[in-house]
Amino acid sequence: MTTWIDASCIFIVFLSLGILATYRIVGIIKIFAAQSFVLGLVLIFLHAHNLSTRDIVISLGTMGLKGVLVPYILFWAIRHVSMRSEIKPVIGFGTSIVSGALLIAGAFWISLSLKLPGKPVSDLILPCSLATVLLGFMIMVTRTRAVTQVLGYLIMENGIFLFALSLFDVMPAMIELGILLDIFVAVFIMAIIVNNINEEFEQAPASVSRSKMGETF
Amino acid sequence: MIMILSILCHWLIVLLLAPFFIGVIAKVKAFFSGKVGPSVFQPFFDLIKLFNKGAVYSKTTTWIFRAAPMVLLASVLILSLEIPLGVFKAPVQFSGDIFFLAYLLALARFFMIAAALDTGFSMEGMGASREAFFSCLSELALFMNFITLALLAHSLSLSHMIGADIPMSWSHVGPALLLIVASFFIVLLTENYRIPIDDPDTHLELTMIHEVMVLDHSGVDLAYVSYASAIKFLIFSGILVPIIIPFRTGDLVMDMLIFLGGMLGLAVCVGIVESSMARLRLNRVRNFLLIAFALAFFGFIVTMWRG
Repeated sequence: MTTWIDASCIFIVFLSLGILATYRIVGIIKIFAAQSFVLGLVLIFLHAHNLSTRDIVISLGTMGLKGVLVPYILFWAIRHVSMRSEIKPVIGFGTSIVSGALLIAGAFWISLSLKLPGKPVSDLILPCSLATVLLGFMIMVTRTRAVTQVLGYLIMENGIFLFALSLFDVMPAMIELGILLDIFVAVFIMAIIVNNINEEFEQAPASVSRSKMGETF
Repeated sequence: MIMILSILCHWLIVLLLAPFFIGVIAKVKAFFSGKVGPSVFQPFFDLIKLFNKGAVYSKTTTWIFRAAPMVLLASVLILSLEIPLGVFKAPVQFSGDIFFLAYLLALARFFMIAAALDTGFSMEGMGASREAFFSCLSELALFMNFITLALLAHSLSLSHMIGADIPMSWSHVGPALLLIVASFFIVLLTENYRIPIDDPDTHLELTMIHEVMVLDHSGVDLAYVSYASAIKFLIFSGILVPIIIPFRTGDLVMDMLIFLGGMLGLAVCVGIVESSMARLRLNRVRNFLLIAFALAFFGFIVTMWRG
C-alpha cells in the first residue's frame, strides 16, 4: 500500500503543478476535482489494513463534497460570469511554473527539519502536503481572478487535509466533517459574492475592481 | 575487427528499424481518422524515391547549407551507437557519454539552424529561432532526467543508466520514475517535432518549426534529413523503453521481442497523442516544456529524498 500512497501524494503535487500551467478556469476546476478525488483515495489507502465504516464515510464525503459538489458550485458561479480564463497573473505562467518547482524543493527541505510525533506510513506525505500548501498559496497570491484565488485557497486546504491525515491516525470524525462543512460554506459564499461582483462591475478582474470602486463611489 | 563488425550490425538494425516506427505512427494516425492509410513501409519507399533524385540548391546558399544534412545524419548515426537495442549492447559506451549524446544533438541542431539561416528565407529564420528556443528548454528537462537516472545507477554511462539498476529502482522510487518517464516523453515529443509541440504534417509556414527549416532541402538532402529524424525517434524511444519495461527474462529471443513490442507500443502511444491532441499555441509550448522540467526536477527531489 505504501507505493500507492506515494504515488497518490506525488500525483496530488503533480496536479497542483498542472494548475500553474492551466489557462482556462474550467480546466483548473477539473484538475481540482481530480485532486480532491485522489485525496479521498489516500484516506482509504492509509487505512487499507483495517478499513472501518468511518474511514469510508469520510473518504466518500471528501470525494463527494470536494470532488463533485464544490466543482459544481464553481461551474455554476462562472457560468453566469464572463470569466473564462486567467488574463494577466501577477507573475507569468512560465515564471510561476519554475518557482513552483523551487517551492516543491523548499517543501522537501523544510520537512527535513520537521520532527513529528509518531511514525508516518509514508515519508512522502509530509513534504508533499507542504508542497501542496505552498503551491496553493502561490496560486492564491499570484492570480487575479476571484475564482482562481478561491481555487488556490481550496488547493491549500487540500494540502492541509493531507497533512492532517499523516499526523493523526485517529482524528475525530466530527472535526473532519466540520472542516468539510466549513469549506462548503466558504465556497458557497464565494460563489454568491462572485455573482454579485459581476453584477456590480462587469468583467472586472478582482484586482481592477478595487481601483474602480474609488472611481465609482 | 569484432568492434567494427558489431558497429556495422548495429547500424544495419538502426537503419532498417527507424523508418518502420515512423510508418507505424502514420498508420495509427490514419486509423484514428478513419482511413486505411499508407503501408507501414511507406517511409522506406519515400526514402528510396528521394535517394534517386537530384538536389536543387539556391544560389544564395553556401557550403553550410550543403553540409548540414550530412552533419545531421552523421551525428545521429554516431549517437545511435550509444543506444542498446534490446539484447544488442551498445557498441560504444564510456563514462560520461550522456554529455557526448547531448552535445552531438546540439551540434546537429546548430548546423540545421545555420543552414536554415543560410537560405535567407524569413520563414526559415522564424523556424530556426523557435527551434533554438524550444530545444534550449527541452535540453534542460533532458539533463534533469539524466541527472536523476545517473543518481539511481551511480554511473554516467547511458548503457548503465537505462540498464541494470532500473528494475530495483522501480520498487524503491517507482513514483519518481513515473515522473521521469512523463518528463522524458515530453522531451521525446519535442525533440522529434511531434504534436503538441510541432505538427510534422503541417505546411503552414507561420506555425511550423522543423518542417519550415527544411523547406529548401531537396532530393538526397531531404532524404538525409528525414532519415535522421526517423533515427532520432528510434534513439529517444530506445532510451525511454528500457526505463518503462525494466525487467529482463534472460532469454535472448524473448528479451528482443519485449523490447520491440515496447518500441511499437511507444510509437502507437505517440500516434494516439497526435490524433487526440491539438497542437499547442506557440507561446504556450514554453509552459509545456517548463512543466517537463518541473516534473524532472520533482523526480530528482524525490530520488534525493529516498536516497
